[in-house]
Amino acid sequence: MANTSLRRALLPAGIVASLALAACSSGGAAAPGTSDAAEQPSTSTSASSEPAAPAGPLTVWVMGDSSAKFDELVAPFVSDTGIEVNTVAIPWDSIDQKVTTAVASGEGPDVLQIGLSKLRTFADTGALLPLDEAALADYPNLAAANFLDGVAGDATAVGGQVVSVPWIADTRVLFYRSDILSEAGIAQPPATWEELRADAKVLAARGDGQYGSYIPQWDSPLPVQMTWAFGGDIVDADGNVDFDTPAFRQAVDLYTGLYADGSVPTNSDFDQTQGFVSGIAPMLVSGPYLAAAIKDAAPDLDGKWSVTTLPKETNGTALLAGSNLGVWAKSTHQDAALQLLDYLSQPATQVTWFGLNGDLPTVKAALEDPKVTADPLVAVYAAQLADSKILPLVPNWDGETGKALLDALNSVVLTGADKDAAIATLISATAGQSVN
Amino acid sequence: MRPRATPYVLVGPATVLLLTFGVLPILVAAGVSLTDMDAAGLGDPSRVGGVGAANYAELLADPAFWQAMRNTAFYVALGVPSVVVVSLAIALLLNQSRSRFFRVLRSFYFLPAITGIVAIALVWGYLYNTQFGLINYLLSLVGVGPVQWLSSPGLVKVSVALVAIWRGTGLNSVIFLAALQGVPKEYLEAAALDGASGWRTTWSIVLPLVRFAIMFVTVTTVIAWLQFFDEAFVLTKGGPLGTSTSISLFLFQQGFSGARFGYASAGSVVLFVVIAAVTLVQLRARRADVAY
Repeated sequence: MANTSLRRALLPAGIVASLALAACSSGGAAAPGTSDAAEQPSTSTSASSEPAAPAGPLTVWVMGDSSAKFDELVAPFVSDTGIEVNTVAIPWDSIDQKVTTAVASGEGPDVLQIGLSKLRTFADTGALLPLDEAALADYPNLAAANFLDGVAGDATAVGGQVVSVPWIADTRVLFYRSDILSEAGIAQPPATWEELRADAKVLAARGDGQYGSYIPQWDSPLPVQMTWAFGGDIVDADGNVDFDTPAFRQAVDLYTGLYADGSVPTNSDFDQTQGFVSGIAPMLVSGPYLAAAIKDAAPDLDGKWSVTTLPKETNGTALLAGSNLGVWAKSTHQDAALQLLDYLSQPATQVTWFGLNGDLPTVKAALEDPKVTADPLVAVYAAQLADSKILPLVPNWDGETGKALLDALNSVVLTGADKDAAIATLISATAGQSVN
Repeated sequence: MRPRATPYVLVGPATVLLLTFGVLPILVAAGVSLTDMDAAGLGDPSRVGGVGAANYAELLADPAFWQAMRNTAFYVALGVPSVVVVSLAIALLLNQSRSRFFRVLRSFYFLPAITGIVAIALVWGYLYNTQFGLINYLLSLVGVGPVQWLSSPGLVKVSVALVAIWRGTGLNSVIFLAALQGVPKEYLEAAALDGASGWRTTWSIVLPLVRFAIMFVTVTTVIAWLQFFDEAFVLTKGGPLGTSTSISLFLFQQGFSGARFGYASAGSVVLFVVIAAVTLVQLRARRADVAY
């Protein structure tokens, strides 16, 4: 430790200061994309006078570890339009820093994939190009009516301004082990949360170290979905975060009740794939990525598990997550960027991407495509997507509202804090948070 | 070159480096800490406004900040004595012989210091795992139920600190070993002639002679533990419920995850002041020391 200590001695001040320095330098920075501009084909010089021929090359930031599949997806676009596309894969862990640096230096991509949980933060920096109806008028595939209602147009507007178009969708469904449920005398997967709680209790009674379900301690959407199930919401009509509702209290009772029953493990390092495959936790609320993980970890389990839509109380609304695409406001290739977005929003492209990467489409027509619905699991996802909603676009869901929500609930279930006091703390901690 | 300028030319490069990478960032952080700079302010400097000491006032009223301060105090109180005592003990044992076996052992103890923190996190994460962890498996053999090493709010700080102690001993052992090997043989021979026991020799002759090494290791270790970050970040991300969040991790979360650069800068200035104060006290204590 000693070797690191010397150079780290000045680190805490340094971390923040280095960013601040970057910010100071941005004022005098050269116009973004100047290097790109030099590479433009000669036709682009005339593009300023006649805006007909958009030109690249476009730099696209996609989330993940590899850009190979995206390159494959856009290959027809490149050959049809002659617009070069340079794809850069950005790992999820580093997107915040990448965007912060890009905002500070002014040198960003032309198009970027934006996880919905990051949309508000990125939009607040002013780095995204407004994409109102007038801007999209020439691109029929980008019309809001084409997309899932939960993410289309105004649904993902920030401060009344649309700055992104939908790209891929993600949702939550109930995974269950049909073999274990029927062994325990449960013929059908639970249709309501009360049934789920009762079934989980039965399943947890199978023995020591056995559980009915699992609640990830980092999963802030879960209690929100429970609130939706009881007919409530966590924002009021004016868009202010509001946890002081009967529906939220019912959700808290359900959440803490699952712990009180001993139906869910209390350790934060519980592995849900392993828990599901081994049967320790035979009912899970999770996303399509879990299906891929299960097929990967235990192909022989096929036929012994399935998925169904979320349990209901008054509602069965699930989380709508996924990613949108945005255009960098300072991009010098905005027409080409919109042309690429238009291509990516064609139903055929969305179906191809589902085949390449398994991501669910956001375009309604693509979700009805036989190539997509052929998989029975995907049919369930598509049904759930029709009844799904995004998390409120508050300024910092992960770091503030969502964290305060999880802290309140987990303090009750892990340290035995008083439920009413925890809710009161949550209400005061999130007062003033708003989607506006 | 006039001889008078020579010393300035010699210290010049080091001074420039120190000013650029040491003093300037602190001044910038101090400046930023008086603003409300966030992600939007980075892109558009006109959206950054001065807020005076509001960040500091908010910091002092923030329970998460105080929790992180308390956690850091716990880490220092547990980690620093452990690292100093354990690495000194290892060095004393390694100093017993210079045979090939002991040289191999020396490398062995040094390994944690040069292993990547992510690899360490993976391995320790699995060792500590509640369900499949090796440690819990061994405990189950003697009938002890599963221990939630990284999930229990009461235990997590100890688990995380243990990894850091394990990681921190290697390098400090080598520093102590070098100091021990610098102890003149004559003193030890004289003590042996006088009939002093091994324990007595270590306590009355060796340890006083390696005082400077102990001082050095203590100061650097205190600074390192006040900035405790890596192990908590990779093993628990500060959870559960912030019970393993150190002050550096708190700053990181505010600054980078929350994009509240002004607020995080205020915290980093506070941390800087704390570290500077603690180090000054230690150095002052050293000044009263006797020279041998």
